[in-house]
Amino acid sequence: MKGFFPTSTDGNMATEFHNLQELRHSASLANKVFIQRDYSEGTTCRFQTKFPSELESRIERTLFEDTVKTLNNFYAEAEKIGGQSYLEGCLACATAYLIFLCMETRYEKVLKKIAKYIQEQNEKIYAPRGLLITDPIERGMRVIEISIYEDRGSSGSSSGSSSVSDSTAR
Amino acid sequence: MPSFSGGVVGGGVGGPASAPPRPFRPSRYVPVSAATTFLVGSTTLFFCFTCPWLTENISSVIPIYVAVIFLFTLANFCMATFMDPGVFPRAEEDEDKEDDFRAPLYKTVEIRNIQVRMKWCGTCRFYRPPRCSHCSVCDNCVEDFDHHCPWVNNCIGRRNYRYFFLFLLSLTTHIMDVFGFGLVYVLHHPQELDTPHAAVTMAVMCVAGLFFVPVAGLTGFHIVLVARGRTTNEQVTGKFRGGVNPFTRGCWRNISHVLCSPQAPRYMGRWWNRHAVEIQPPFLRPALTEAQLEAKILDNGIQNDRHSTRSKSSLDQMESQSADMEAPPPPKPDFRYPGLPRADTEASSLLSEAPPTPLMYKYRPAYSSPGKNHAAVTHPNKMTRGESLDSQSPSILQSSRQPSYRSEPSSLDGATVVGRGVGVRRGGGDRGEGPGGPGGIAAVVSGGVSGYSLTGRSYTSYPSSLVLSAGGSRSSSLRSAQTVHNPLATLQSEGTTDTSYKSLANQTPRNGSLSYDSLLTPSESPEFESAAHELSPLRPHAPLPSPAGSGRPGAASPGSPLQGYTSPFLSAQIAQQREGQLLQGSTTFSSPHRAYLRAVSPPPSSPPGPPEAQHLLHHNQNPTSRIPRNPSSSSSSPGARSLDPPVSPPPRGLSLSKSPVHIGETGSRHKPRPAGLGAVLGGGGVGGGQQAPQSTSRPVLANHTTSKPVGGVKKVTGVGGTTYEISV
Repeated sequence: MKGFFPTSTDGNMATEFHNLQELRHSASLANKVFIQRDYSEGTTCRFQTKFPSELESRIERTLFEDTVKTLNNFYAEAEKIGGQSYLEGCLACATAYLIFLCMETRYEKVLKKIAKYIQEQNEKIYAPRGLLITDPIERGMRVIEISIYEDRGSSGSSSGSSSVSDSTAR
Repeated sequence: MPSFSGGVVGGGVGGPASAPPRPFRPSRYVPVSAATTFLVGSTTLFFCFTCPWLTENISSVIPIYVAVIFLFTLANFCMATFMDPGVFPRAEEDEDKEDDFRAPLYKTVEIRNIQVRMKWCGTCRFYRPPRCSHCSVCDNCVEDFDHHCPWVNNCIGRRNYRYFFLFLLSLTTHIMDVFGFGLVYVLHHPQELDTPHAAVTMAVMCVAGLFFVPVAGLTGFHIVLVARGRTTNEQVTGKFRGGVNPFTRGCWRNISHVLCSPQAPRYMGRWWNRHAVEIQPPFLRPALTEAQLEAKILDNGIQNDRHSTRSKSSLDQMESQSADMEAPPPPKPDFRYPGLPRADTEASSLLSEAPPTPLMYKYRPAYSSPGKNHAAVTHPNKMTRGESLDSQSPSILQSSRQPSYRSEPSSLDGATVVGRGVGVRRGGGDRGEGPGGPGGIAAVVSGGVSGYSLTGRSYTSYPSSLVLSAGGSRSSSLRSAQTVHNPLATLQSEGTTDTSYKSLANQTPRNGSLSYDSLLTPSESPEFESAAHELSPLRPHAPLPSPAGSGRPGAASPGSPLQGYTSPFLSAQIAQQREGQLLQGSTTFSSPHRAYLRAVSPPPSSPPGPPEAQHLLHHNQNPTSRIPRNPSSSSSSPGARSLDPPVSPPPRGLSLSKSPVHIGETGSRHKPRPAGLGAVLGGGGVGGGQQAPQSTSRPVLANHTTSKPVGGVKKVTGVGGTTYEISV
């Protein structure tokens, strides 16, 4: 309703008397970019760090590459065959795999770290730029899905709140 | 063995990303029940009847030892049975917005300098990662698919291979123990064989002895596989018969990978705590650097015309490459989904090996859906509409020849094409450009519409597989660009091979296992290369980008003649897009075909040639007589998944393209084509596995390979029809 004091707005039209919701711009999903796996070293999990052209106008190249490289490092750490994975295997064998009921495997621990990292990246870097990264585990680790949102202008409706992340619906 | 259920028939899409519910088939549980019964029953009898005496008279360690081994066997058996083998969730729709009709069936990636092709899975809607295969019994794509084991009623894949392997080892040990100790008992009671204890012991020994032979055999087989770093699927389909396995890291590392690697995570049934992230405009934007601004200016300006910013980036690559593009690429996304921004599809981005995620350059007309595929293919009328482009086409073909070749793939997925000069060329070849290529120009002129869509299809499947990344891009070009680029060229009559297109794959119930594309053996790809190479001189335009990665000759841009090859969907698209976009596309198409054709021509093995030509012409008349995909081709046997049944369509496609090609051919170069094509067709049949044509294709391949002007790539053909190219 009009006459509603705009106490806090997006900054645009702050001086006008508008419904607060009308002042909020909404973002809608415009496009999705898929970062494919980099199989050049075999089937170990790695994603291509090549900067997709669709993101050229949305995010700095270095930020994107840092994100992907960090993810690649996480995955490399998760899949590393070393002392810890060997011990884990031996322990599992010794307990007839009952240990899996209680303990979380190393890979799962790293996946949790990755999820946290992606969440943090989304909040700090990608969402402010209208982008959203989807955890590749949700796609079977085949792609990193980056959703690109566009500013659709002020919605003017009661549902003009910002769109939620998680473009992927399962 | 068996009790393989035929699998779910026409399983629809169940959950968003999960396998559809399957009907309950009790027959599937017979082998696993029998195995469990034998294992547990026999061991129990052993413990009850034989062990007491052994414990008292020999050693008390025996039952403990046998019990430990038995428990280990049982634990591994349970893990192998109940553990998710590494099932991929179904891809969401967003990942593949490409019109299935045009999507290439294969995409190629390079793994340690060896080309490996990824096949499109129609059921799961993504390009299968390397070593992944679709199990018809479980109706899922499984990572590092080994086989489907009826004895555990489960697929054996990445996550549970280790348990399966240990199960085999421990079961072999257990059988030997039971048999051995039973024998000790029997030998110590020669006069008491009629007692129940002895009788039961002997019965248990019989069962053990009976199962020992197959189990030990299987164990030995898997020991060899583990040492070699292969899966059962790869071994049975002979993928690495040529001796080049990109996945092996050496015997010791292979073993440690199987036994000591961390437990892989499951992809299905994950419920992560999703925290909503608020996305609220205004959005930050990076400042355009000077170089970026300049780049934008430098591109041929077509982008500026495009109102669809989405395709802009993809166009960049394409356009910068194809300087001679005459018409602004059509705003493809809008055609298809007016008002909806064209999203980059996952599938398209796969086309480039290391390319920026390409934005699908969609030339497609507003095809409604997979069902269209057939429509497109069987509507030669549409082709005729494309003919209207003739007037422009020659010039366009000329100019766009090279660019089209290159740009085509790029249009489809941006980066792919551009950089990949090589790929592009190849792609053109494998897409079926070969046959269509020469025909392309001719088609343009003559408006040969008939086989257009058909040819494109058939080629897509095999060439792309082999072709390297470039191939991938090419295939993608088939998807959309083709129609645009070379409507006429593709019209050529390519026998559309259902298999070559994703759309077709998606339509059959057993999409994953369809292997028509195998008919188009990858081996043919090298031919494409050379063909492309040779064709390049025809191109008046810009130098082709140096082949990326594969060291192929830069040829590329096959002339329009190959265009015709491009694909069946072209016809439909032509109807819709008669503007420049088609022109652009056409060029690209031709080249692949041309490349393909050229490849075949050099080899002297020409016996199939003349008959082929006839065959082609015949097929040309009958585009619709394409052999429908045979769902049953999807082998239910574990290892046979990759085996492709011999299907005529692919050859048909080839033949179709061939005829137009010849029509259009002007150079002497093209003459040998028929022969070559025949050989190629033979190669097409290889996919299915061992067929006669295979042999014909082999020599062709051999010849081709050796005659390849540009070295750097060695092609190794596997029996299963997979060709691996190794960069030298």
